[in-house]
Amino acid sequence: MSKVIERPRYVCALGGAIGTIQSLPRAIPILHSSSGCGGNLAGALSGASGYNGGNYCGGQALPSSNVSERDIVFGGEGRLQEQIENTLKVMDGDLYFVVTGCMVEMIGDNVHAVTKRFKGEKLPVLAAETVSFKGNSYYGYELVLETLFRDFVEPAPVKDAGTVNLWGVVPMQDVFWKGNLGVLKSLLKKLGYETNTFFGQGETLENLKNSGKASLNIVVSDAYGIEAAKVFEEVHGVPYITVPLPIGDHGTSRFLRTVGKALGVDDIKVEKLIQEERKAYYPYLERLADVYNDLDFQRYATVVGDPNYTQAVTRFLSDDLGWLPELIVVTDILGEEQKERVLASFGEYESGLRPEIVFDEDASSVGGYINRHWPQNQGQKYYKGFAPGVIIGSVMERDTAEQFKVPLLPVTYPISNRVVLNRAYAGYSGGLTLAEDILSLVVAHR
Amino acid sequence: MDYIKHKVPPVREDRLMACQAYGGTCGDLSTESKKGCLYASKRTFSQTQGCQLNLSLGMISSMRDAVMVIHSPIGCGGNLIQNAGINKVFQKLRQESAVGLRWINTNLSEVDVISGGEAKLRQAVLKAEREFRPSAILVFNSCVPALIGDDIDGILDDLQKQVSAKIVPIHCEGFKTKIQATAYDSVYHGLIRNLVGEDNTATPAVIRTPEEEIEHQAKISKTVNLLNVGSMSRIDEEELVRLLKALDLNVRILPSYSHPDDFTYAHEAALNVSICATHDDYFVEHFKQMYGIPYVLRTIPIGIANTNKWLRDIASFFGIEEQTEKLIAAETAELKQAIEPFKAQFKGKTAFLTGGEVRILTTAELLHNLGFEILGLRGYHFDKYGEILLDEYLEDVPNSEKAIFNIGSGQVFEQANLLSKITPDLFVGHIGVNGSAAKQGYPIFPLFGQSDDYLGYKGVFEVATRVSRILKNASFNKNLGKNTRLPYRDSWYEQDPFTYIDDSASVAARIG
Ligand code: SF4
Repeated sequence: MSKVIERPRYVCALGGAIGTIQSLPRAIPILHSSSGCGGNLAGALSGASGYNGGNYCGGQALPSSNVSERDIVFGGEGRLQEQIENTLKVMDGDLYFVVTGCMVEMIGDNVHAVTKRFKGEKLPVLAAETVSFKGNSYYGYELVLETLFRDFVEPAPVKDAGTVNLWGVVPMQDVFWKGNLGVLKSLLKKLGYETNTFFGQGETLENLKNSGKASLNIVVSDAYGIEAAKVFEEVHGVPYITVPLPIGDHGTSRFLRTVGKALGVDDIKVEKLIQEERKAYYPYLERLADVYNDLDFQRYATVVGDPNYTQAVTRFLSDDLGWLPELIVVTDILGEEQKERVLASFGEYESGLRPEIVFDEDASSVGGYINRHWPQNQGQKYYKGFAPGVIIGSVMERDTAEQFKVPLLPVTYPISNRVVLNRAYAGYSGGLTLAEDILSLVVAHR
Repeated sequence: MDYIKHKVPPVREDRLMACQAYGGTCGDLSTESKKGCLYASKRTFSQTQGCQLNLSLGMISSMRDAVMVIHSPIGCGGNLIQNAGINKVFQKLRQESAVGLRWINTNLSEVDVISGGEAKLRQAVLKAEREFRPSAILVFNSCVPALIGDDIDGILDDLQKQVSAKIVPIHCEGFKTKIQATAYDSVYHGLIRNLVGEDNTATPAVIRTPEEEIEHQAKISKTVNLLNVGSMSRIDEEELVRLLKALDLNVRILPSYSHPDDFTYAHEAALNVSICATHDDYFVEHFKQMYGIPYVLRTIPIGIANTNKWLRDIASFFGIEEQTEKLIAAETAELKQAIEPFKAQFKGKTAFLTGGEVRILTTAELLHNLGFEILGLRGYHFDKYGEILLDEYLEDVPNSEKAIFNIGSGQVFEQANLLSKITPDLFVGHIGVNGSAAKQGYPIFPLFGQSDDYLGYKGVFEVATRVSRILKNASFNKNLGKNTRLPYRDSWYEQDPFTYIDDSASVAARIG
């Protein structure tokens, strides 16, 4: 039996699907669900994602069949057909994508049968059954990608050796997704490759449609987008690799080496790029030489959030910043196989650190783990706890941070006490940004 | 009204014949609505809105010392995520020791849908009790458990014997109604059934001497329940309390940001004072019936005219008209002087408002008194309470019968079309629709806000200063207007904004 969850950091498959579709250029999601689902998910998608907003078609602009009791009794297919017809008239998009809520699944509406009737129309109408109770946001992301890869990406028998696709950075759930995708794209450009990221700045639906000719799919995650990669491989014959989200020198250098190897790029070329990037990176960190050491800026850290970020931040803190990220709480719902892959991504640190990694979905558990890792003061005179400490997590860790009197930097979803526009934490440049943000917190407390 | 005996309240489509799709003028609406068949109209193209569950959480998730259990698949209640970590600030304004939002989602999976979600519900309630020891556990029911037929009340009755927190079931599945305001009935239904009144099996009844009893009754005879709403700020509350205290009344504030214990003695009051019929009619009617407590429900104290009406209603109940007139005279004289300078700035300016029927009609009157011409209104829904208020509005505001009236929550495509045609100088909007109007370049004044004052006499001045400030520089939205695009085809703006409202059913209802 799945667990009940205290303060989950994701919504249902429908929510993940909406967030994914509305992050595609000029794509219009059509909800086949009860009238409330879209409104219910809007706050999670935009408000909790650093005020990411609704993009082109999000929030209350989302078309929705708004089925109610009557449709539940008589079936909602007729209403859906009417809604799609009129959506094509009113909403200005290049791609329409029907997604479903739990009620219509339970009454047995066949959305595929309805959308099929729109085949051959000027504009594509896709559909995915994003049934809420089958999974969370990440599952919705996966379903949308699978559908796009199967039904929208065109077959391309001839591959282009200079083009790759990249995903695994989940729009909205990665609050910095847009900036991150941009950084990764430009790194690959320096390696000599054109990259389709589908959701990043400047992407078009044409890129997506033609992505079948890529020579490699790079899934920047050990947890999300892997099923979709399998579908892509099956349908379009493009192989994939998975690689952890990189932040800072150590993470990003590993990233470049893994990707370079998979693409068969000459080692010398990869190492040369890494050297160049380091030449730009370390002069900035060098500026911290005095302050870091004069004021003793090393900290213990607890890192809380999804697998993509927790491993990336941990490596950055451990190997780039020389901190002690000793406790990691991964808050996702993961299968056993996923857990193993994720666990493996926390390791081989230059620092030799061996953090404690726990999997727990409940928000209020974090304090308990901190107390266990750094035992509580029982009134003794000589005592060493979680100090000096910092929590890198989400806004949900506010109470915990207050309780332990340590600063909190929200980096993982949800974030509602920062506004995020094009900030990026990925890559070398993202590492500098993260260093700025973390150390600013420390100096702000002086 | 006698629904409290039932497990769930009726939906507003049935109880109030509430309408959710209409487009016309204020004058037409007033006439049409009296014929009583607007409720049957629907839309053939629609956009998403909110559901009972959203609004129930919006209303009562702020309750202090409570944990919410959302019995649903993982996504329902998702709106709470954006308030996690920030809601505490507002709770603290009511109680220093308040903790932030706490909720548990039962995370119903496919297996649960087949075999029932009852075990998960138990697990969640017991977890809430064990981990947080709250005073109350509010259990919200979503679409899925309703469809699979979980016996929620049965399980909760049984669980109540095992936990010390008071369990409050709130049945608010989304698909049952398109009138989100039904949520208010669901919440009050749960609160009245489960929190009001002492539990004499748990606490011994209070024994008073005859003198103490007289004193106690005297206190009750001067106590009012002020029913606040989730959109009210602490400053709003303070302004209303100031006015009621000036009339020598004791004030108990319910239900938003209250503590579960505040309800125990809620029936020890002389009068229920509502600020919004949409919000409170279910509660006050039942309180009257169950405890004999009368109520004031007519209007929300926004703007001078409505604040005066609100105070006079209360005064006539307590027989303190004279004292109240003095207060009104003193307050309005001072206020009129204070807002005079704004009138020159606002003269000839036009406005459009959207939000709840009660709130927009009263705010429109406030703006009218400041010098604005009101071009149109969009109400979330419309029922008999709106009808009364609209008629008063038509009387108080000259030439208002020709102004547009559109009914529909969400449905920003209709709004975008309307705005492209009537181009007001100021847009006043409920949260959720302001971003859309901003992208059309309009200066926007939010209809309510958690940190600002809108109500009472002070509210009038505050609204005037903020509107004046917003009109001084609308560059941000103007830039958006020039450089962004709403997701509608150009051809949509050429059509009638109400093209997709289908009122054939209401015509049929009228004939039949
Ligand atoms: S409409 Fe039903 S399924 Fe949708 S969010 Fe509301 S309660 Fe959940």
